[in-house]
Amino acid sequence: MKPAEFAYHRPDSVEEALGLLGELEEAKVLGGGQSLLPILNMRLAAPAHLIDITGIRALRRFEEDDSGVRYGAVTTHMMIEDGLVPDPARGLLPHAAAGIGYRAVRNRGTIAGSLAHSDSSAEWPTVLSALDAAVHVRSNRGDRRIPVRELLLGFFTTALAEDELITAVEVPRLREGTRWGMVKMARKPGEFAESLAITLVRPGETEIWLGAARDVPVRLAETETVLAGSIGPIALEQLAEAIGADTGSSGYERQRHAVAVRRALETARGETVRGAEVHV
Amino acid sequence: MSEITVELTVNRRARTATVPARTTLADLLRDSFGLTGTHLGCEQGVCGACTVLLDELPVRACLTLAASCQGSEVVTIEGLDGPDAERIRAAFSREGALQCGFCTPGMVLSCYELARRRQVLTRDEACMAMSGNICRCTGYNGIIRAVRSAIAEGIESES
Ligand SMILES: Cc1cc2nc3c(=O)[nH]c(=O)nc-3n(C[C@H](O)[C@H](O)[C@H](O)COP(=O)(O)OP(=O)(O)OC[C@H]3O[C@@H](n4cnc5c(N)ncnc54)[C@H](O)[C@@H]3O)c2cc1C
Ligand code: FES
Ligand code: FES
Repeated sequence: MKPAEFAYHRPDSVEEALGLLGELEEAKVLGGGQSLLPILNMRLAAPAHLIDITGIRALRRFEEDDSGVRYGAVTTHMMIEDGLVPDPARGLLPHAAAGIGYRAVRNRGTIAGSLAHSDSSAEWPTVLSALDAAVHVRSNRGDRRIPVRELLLGFFTTALAEDELITAVEVPRLREGTRWGMVKMARKPGEFAESLAITLVRPGETEIWLGAARDVPVRLAETETVLAGSIGPIALEQLAEAIGADTGSSGYERQRHAVAVRRALETARGETVRGAEVHV
Repeated sequence: MSEITVELTVNRRARTATVPARTTLADLLRDSFGLTGTHLGCEQGVCGACTVLLDELPVRACLTLAASCQGSEVVTIEGLDGPDAERIRAAFSREGALQCGFCTPGMVLSCYELARRRQVLTRDEACMAMSGNICRCTGYNGIIRAVRSAIAEGIESES
């Protein structure tokens, strides 16, 4: 349960980090370490070099304007939970952050690290897909902006090249008149989700995203269509069927997702307590 | 480059150590400094036995590299003192919040951060806030009683 040997680098600037990433073989970026350290401790990975980016001050900054907020890569879950950085989504980001693991994990885990890790049962991949956030990525070869929906390609698989660093995460402001609902189902507080439903309800339109159902967060297009075509509340079985068509899930799993989505719809519509967290 | 030298403050004492880069904060504390009150249960972030304060915030010492703590201030169970710490220790003892004591250092450090916030927690909120610390012998009722009681006494001490 101890990591294999590696060389450790602690750059002070993004440029220095990019230089190291471009030049070193088998190097990995170290953010908060809250996903990488368990992996290293269990020796599921043994990189030759770790590039710790948490000493880079420029990556701690945030910028806010009318369009939204841009968070430096090493912004921690705790900073979002405690409101130390602005929230452009009227409570959704602090609510989501507070449900991630435990306080000690949230004090170190970072928003960019969570996206780069790409686990669809984690909070940020699904929440930030729903909000249509984007990451700013840099390497020695140039800069690019990747929407989160295009960044996440599968379990632990992203569109990032080996020499690329996420420097910031840009979250657009939640549109006026949009209400959100979020339901995370997990076996115990602090565990990864078994179902993670985000609903965005605005006049004439309901958008639904689901995490922990497939290898990447999925938008439930079929379910949205069924909802749009129905007058009044729809039966849980009908919801489950539509979610099955959207995700390929069946049986108990499909039922769990249907319950999570229904509760998230109810919270977005203001029918129950906002964003109730459910443990099964 | 696979060895690093790290300078940090541990329990208010300046310390320097040269260790392999792969050394976690937990192993630095235990093996280099002999501070074995920081316990290792799972080494994957789940149990909370290794919880220490890093720049005043609780973190998993098993998921923090010693190298990342350059220039930081660490407080372990051995160095936790002051009125809040005393109230927490007394409450744990009074409420029967421990048996073997393996989880206790982590429990006390997590509780310390809660007590410092001077915010009343309902029983459910206290359970949620302490859910990152696992105890395998006591059952959680005594622990939650102790946590809430220490928080309440902290608030009372200032009113
Ligand atoms: C006990 C426990 C419970 C948890 N529960 C939850 C939970 O309920 N929900 C949840 O969402 N998460 C949970 N987590 C994971 C936690 O949120 C992590 O913080 C997060 O997944 C990774 O962020 P990090 O900064 O720690 O990244 P690291 O662990 O440092 O890195 C993760 C991966 O991202 C890469 N990386 C990091 N930063 C960058 C960057 N800027 N650019 C490019 N690549 C980068 C690394 O190379 C690595 O591959 C839990 C963790 C633990 C230990
Ligand atoms: S040993 Fe660190 S959390 Fe279990
Ligand atoms: S007292 Fe034994 S594990 Fe908690």
